[in-house]
Amino acid sequence: MSADPAGGESADEADPTVEMAEQAARDEPDLDRGLIEAWAAKMISNPDRAYRATFYVATIFFLVTTLFPFYWLLVVALTPRNNLSEVGVFLPAGFNPAAFIEIFQTLPFHRYVFNSFLIATIATVAVLLVGSLAGYVFGRLRFRGRNVLLLLVLVTSFFPPAAFFIPLNRLFNTNIDVLRPLISAGSLYNTPYAIFIPLSAIFLPLSIFILMTFYSQIPDGLEDAARVEGTTRLGALFRVIVPLSAPGVATAGVLTFISVYNEYFFSSLMTDGQPGSWAPMLEGILRFQGEFEVLYNLMAAASIVAVLPVAILVVVAQEKIVSGLTTGAVKE
Amino acid sequence: MASVNLEGITKRYEDVTAVDDMTLDIEDGEFVTFVGPSGCGKSTTMETIAGLTLPTEGTIEIGGRDVTDLPPKDRGISMVFQNIALFPHMDVYDNISFGLRLRKYDQEEVDRRVEEAADIVQLEGMMDRMPKEMSGGQRQRVAIARAIVRNPDAFLMDEPLANLDAELRVHMRTQLQRLHRELDTTIIYVTHDQAQAMTMSDRIAVINSGVLQQVAPPLECYNEPANLFVAGFIGSPAMNFIQGEVVDDGFVSTYANVDFDPATQNVTAGQEITIGIRPEDIYLAENTEKAASPTKAFDAVVDVIEPVGKEINAYLLFDRDVEASAEGRGEGQLLINLAPDTDIAEGDDIQIVMDRENVHLFDRASGDAVTHSLE
Repeated sequence: MSADPAGGESADEADPTVEMAEQAARDEPDLDRGLIEAWAAKMISNPDRAYRATFYVATIFFLVTTLFPFYWLLVVALTPRNNLSEVGVFLPAGFNPAAFIEIFQTLPFHRYVFNSFLIATIATVAVLLVGSLAGYVFGRLRFRGRNVLLLLVLVTSFFPPAAFFIPLNRLFNTNIDVLRPLISAGSLYNTPYAIFIPLSAIFLPLSIFILMTFYSQIPDGLEDAARVEGTTRLGALFRVIVPLSAPGVATAGVLTFISVYNEYFFSSLMTDGQPGSWAPMLEGILRFQGEFEVLYNLMAAASIVAVLPVAILVVVAQEKIVSGLTTGAVKE
Repeated sequence: MASVNLEGITKRYEDVTAVDDMTLDIEDGEFVTFVGPSGCGKSTTMETIAGLTLPTEGTIEIGGRDVTDLPPKDRGISMVFQNIALFPHMDVYDNISFGLRLRKYDQEEVDRRVEEAADIVQLEGMMDRMPKEMSGGQRQRVAIARAIVRNPDAFLMDEPLANLDAELRVHMRTQLQRLHRELDTTIIYVTHDQAQAMTMSDRIAVINSGVLQQVAPPLECYNEPANLFVAGFIGSPAMNFIQGEVVDDGFVSTYANVDFDPATQNVTAGQEITIGIRPEDIYLAENTEKAASPTKAFDAVVDVIEPVGKEINAYLLFDRDVEASAEGRGEGQLLINLAPDTDIAEGDDIQIVMDRENVHLFDRASGDAVTHSLE
């Protein structure tokens, strides 16, 4: 069965070369082929080379388009302020690493990054917690109206976030007496809640969907065993189902964290931009653009610093995701 | 250790009744097996005892305590599952000690108990292995250790041997019996395999379509089946059935007539009944003396013979015109067990007798047994 196609393939591989050479000789006996034509003929006769070449071209293309902007950010960051108009494509016009220190001196940029980091962490924890409960219900329980409810949850994620902005902004600017003991002004504007509440809600449906698919694949027997051994349903969820779904939880967590950390729209509108008002990292970067001058080198340096936490998180989490996926697969 | 009492347990899903009004008392220390074809409700019954499913009606008592509304963890039971259900992300020690750690036993006590349980199922030196590094039999033993480590009031075993290969299954069967003798704990065991039920249990509960058919010691189920279903389900190969009618002087059917006095057997003339006779209670006419009380001889044709070593299974047709049914033994077909040295070939015309002492009569309308011997 397997021997035949292999034999046929090798025959196919050999045949076209001969055939094509013969045909070429027959049709155009004296044609002196150009460089490109010769190359094309070679590729046709040996498709493996063509595939490999395409792979490298595509990979290099993607690497360049994704990594070059970062490199150029570094180039801009290292260019001294006076030479910003002469910044090159590949090399900085001068060398000024002090920009990376200056960003913390000009503004409390670390506070902005901390704000973002905290908001993203709280949002991730909240999304994973609520998403786990919802994922358990949608993935493991059968009840009337399950599909309708799931569809409703998913539909909310189809709306553009901007649609929610005006009502939310009005709401967050309203003074609510009940909140006064918790928040001095009584309104959510200028608090971290103003960013993490809407963002958690917007990114929750995706996490529910991811977690639901993972949780539904854990065999019923394991949950039953945990319950007989002494856990409640919730205990079984967090002691057995969640650890066994580690790759899914990591995926949902990383996606949420990155989305919230990088979010622009709500982040830029839900606070007044002061670091003390829990303005996120994004506001910090925009603050380097003054009334008379835009400090591109500082903005670039700040952008690089802001990317670092996410980059580290992704590298660490990706290792976890890969290890989670392979532990099951290697030994069976 | 405790008794388990089911009182009127009914479990209804939207359109099906999985368990119908089941009442059953299981004594302290007893090994009871729920047996029945797949989908008969035996697993659902066990799940209601475990608390994984709540019954629609009825109450469950374990050790005299009403546990109907308690969650599984508070019922004092432990369970071994068909798919073994070890936690794949925990090593053997963590798996076995899971329940103890949840109940906040101190470390020394946990260690002592885990060691004791591992000792019983012979798992010494494997404490830090992961489940996926173990063989099927080893995993099964870990699952059993996890069940016994908490000293539960009752063990529930849901087809625990179904996923093992045949040799290991027979081995684990004897292991389980030894375990039961050692621990002396109530065991409720679910299987669809009547051989496991016969060999291990103190009593068998035969279930069909969610209804309890008979609860009795294995041999009683075998020798005195309460109805047609039990008669056909218990015993391998299964009992022969001949459908017919009661007349003034016995039983008549298309192929075989048996004489008896209807009055002494609690049947009346005209009643539709089925005769049941096990393959080992039918003899060749030439060996009539082996039957304690032979009937008159019947003609039959040998259809297929299956030598299995210690005996020969011979499939007979009452008549050459009978068409062998493709689905089990049909009307006019008969299976008998013969001694391995019997000189017989397919196509032979033979004569057979039945042992009247082991002829069962069943009322066909209700399916209930009327008598288990014509003598």
